[in-house]
Amino acid sequence: MEKKVYIMGGAQTDFERNWTKEGKNMIALLKEAVEDGFKDAGFTMDEMVRLNKENRVAAFVGNFIAEQYISQGHLGAFLTEVNPAFYGVPSARYEAACASSSVALDAAITKIEAGEYDVCIVVGWEIMKSVDSKKGGDILGRAAYYEKEGKGVDLPFPKLFGRLADATIEKYGLDKDRYLNALAKISCINYANAKRNPLAQTRKWFMSYEEATHRGTESNPNVGGLLGVSDCSQVTDGAAVVVLCSEKYLKEKGLKDLAFVKGYGHRTAPLLFDKKIADNANSEYVLPWTRQACLDAYKRAGLTVDDIDVFETHDCFSSSEFAAISAFGIAEPGKECEAIENGVIAFEGAKPINPSGGLIGCGHPVGASGARMFVDLYKQVTGKAGRYQVKGAKNGMMLNIGGSATTNYVFIVGKA
Amino acid sequence: MIYPKTITVVGANGTMGANVSAIFASFGNARVYMVSRDKEKSKKAAIKSAKSVKADAITANLIAADYSMLADCVKSSDLVFESAAENLDLKIELHTKIGQSLKKGAVACTGSSGLSITRLAECYPEETRSQFFGVHMFNPPYQLTLCELTASPYSDMAMYAELKEYLTNTLFRTVAESKDLPAFLGNRIGFYVMNEALQYAERYQDNGGIDYIDSLLGPFTGRTMPPITTADFVGLDVHKAIVDNIYENTNDYVHNKFVLPEYVQKLIDQKKLGRKTGEGLYKLIKNDSGDKRMMVYDIKLGIYRDEIKYTFPFALQMKQYLRDGDYDDAIRVLINNKSQEADICLRFLLRYIVYALYTAEHVGYDLRVADDVMATGFTWCPPFAMMEAFTRVCDLGQLMKDRLKPEIVNAVDIDHIIGEQIKSKYDYRIYFKAK
Repeated sequence: MEKKVYIMGGAQTDFERNWTKEGKNMIALLKEAVEDGFKDAGFTMDEMVRLNKENRVAAFVGNFIAEQYISQGHLGAFLTEVNPAFYGVPSARYEAACASSSVALDAAITKIEAGEYDVCIVVGWEIMKSVDSKKGGDILGRAAYYEKEGKGVDLPFPKLFGRLADATIEKYGLDKDRYLNALAKISCINYANAKRNPLAQTRKWFMSYEEATHRGTESNPNVGGLLGVSDCSQVTDGAAVVVLCSEKYLKEKGLKDLAFVKGYGHRTAPLLFDKKIADNANSEYVLPWTRQACLDAYKRAGLTVDDIDVFETHDCFSSSEFAAISAFGIAEPGKECEAIENGVIAFEGAKPINPSGGLIGCGHPVGASGARMFVDLYKQVTGKAGRYQVKGAKNGMMLNIGGSATTNYVFIVGKA
Repeated sequence: MIYPKTITVVGANGTMGANVSAIFASFGNARVYMVSRDKEKSKKAAIKSAKSVKADAITANLIAADYSMLADCVKSSDLVFESAAENLDLKIELHTKIGQSLKKGAVACTGSSGLSITRLAECYPEETRSQFFGVHMFNPPYQLTLCELTASPYSDMAMYAELKEYLTNTLFRTVAESKDLPAFLGNRIGFYVMNEALQYAERYQDNGGIDYIDSLLGPFTGRTMPPITTADFVGLDVHKAIVDNIYENTNDYVHNKFVLPEYVQKLIDQKKLGRKTGEGLYKLIKNDSGDKRMMVYDIKLGIYRDEIKYTFPFALQMKQYLRDGDYDDAIRVLINNKSQEADICLRFLLRYIVYALYTAEHVGYDLRVADDVMATGFTWCPPFAMMEAFTRVCDLGQLMKDRLKPEIVNAVDIDHIIGEQIKSKYDYRIYFKAK
């Protein structure tokens, strides 16, 4: 990328929390996330006020569907309720289902690259525990083509990603049991990684390979085709904040050793799942546009998979992480099982995926997940990931998808 | 490094026994002999056990047994965990039996919530006495990760270190090391607050008593459940056993706060033990149409009456601030509101901080342990985190000196007790709820 966009810092809330149960509203969520993000970035409200006088700062809010969960729209404007320092700061909401905060990141990065602003604040958030799981499942159906794929369907998304599992088995002629065991291993790795992450939703939960392969039982019922509950990420409440800045600001403040954005990819696949799968007929990849987004990011960064030390992917279901393995280029398409079985993607492996626990382990507040992954990459490449630090990580790559892998967003961040 | 493959849980049909079996069988991936008086009860407990960790797959690890099989189970076990009723004579009998069969090198432990670990260690023959420890988990252990670990003077400290490592890294427990003193750490602090709340309910019986005090110590004061409701949930017999044990065997500056109020004894005598018997301090009535009605024991009248929904202005204001995430403003209301209720509430919180740190200093080995026990055993805002919430808006030492009674300020060196600036690893914002 031509102009460097630097990462001053960021933070996520504790994804174990249920804000409705705590009796707290979206303002409380935003206040805590912004306070923590600013603190980590060494950025202050006073500094924002100063920059805003010269129109050098802006805010970008990622959220999928607060209109349904808490009956609230016009979300970009709500930062003014967080602190009067946001008065007058340009802000708007960005949406692409579960990739919402990646669009917000993209907009922020682009504005800095274009020289429009020197500091951009990205806030991704979602409150989902305000409704029961049946209603929540129906709301999430709006990330698909609701009228054709969501309406009246009980838990539409597990079913769509169950179909991705079917399509993967069929495309590569995989042995079903081997494939399902590999998916179970993906779940186990994510749960185990989450145990090291003090902000992960499932950090106290139990999962074992026996339980994850024990699908179709009371504790691990099938929820979408071949997939069991253990293959699913769980919705939760949460927010993640990223503070980005321009090279000009970096020099002005004498900031050193910051991580920066090395590349991105953004591709939109056919919305309807049937069309998406029909579209892959001429590709080796089950999700060709997901693969293309990764290739675009590599190209922009001038890097290859060999240069990437840590990955965060969108494991909304174990079947989507499976597809991401070849999309990243960690394995040849159809050879993902080997990478899983040989420990390549494990925490100690050569290409660790989701040291944070990912969506399955860390939790999936949909509008926050992209920003959360970005914060995790920043932590990894700056050595701030604590107990889930991947040793010596220099470059990190993330894949955030919206819908049934319809919107595909990839970012690569690293240090010089 | 200890990695027990086979474990015996004695008293496995109790709630705690079943839940602890699940922790060993799941995170520990051990084969667990679940021993109780009746094998059928053990079988039922195994099903409950798997449900408690939401994993049917672990039932393959759970083996139902009864006391006739105890010696064989113990002989083949790398770890034996006793989870029988909190009765010293019964525990002495059981540990004497376990001691007759325990392997050299195997670990034996009690889940006792506060009996003497040294006394129980003496049930073991000299050659295995060093293998005995106190391992006190909190219920439900899948949700509450606290585990108080206690050695006796006979303990093999290398084995103690390995056991700590196993509990921490394999079973994912938050291990709080405690000296062998009555009720250890968590219960000493927690039941001090709960019993004092019960005493206050008696003192303020003209204001409503139980529901009056619970209403001003609700979730907005840094906890999930008000303290008297918690006592009702724990069971009044258990509550009595714990506070009596502390009262009889300790003597610190809050000694008389462990005296069980008379009205609680009266309820116990009437077998009104709390939630588990359907009535106690509270009583939930369901009528034919399924409507629920919460009644509360009125100390003054000696009868159950409808719970009063108190609306104290200070509490309403605090909840409003907390709802918007304005924690500093909420604490300021608590400090500055001049009502009797705000004063009672504030002083409860301050006394809790002081006693938690005082206890950690005397019963623990590290002050930070006060945070671990209260956060992961009670889900109360732990003392150092609560100190942080206060010190953001006031001089906490001065506030304590101004607002606490002379008997506390004179008995405890406030400047010393809050002098150590320890950054809590817990976030106070999570605990102060807008409810």
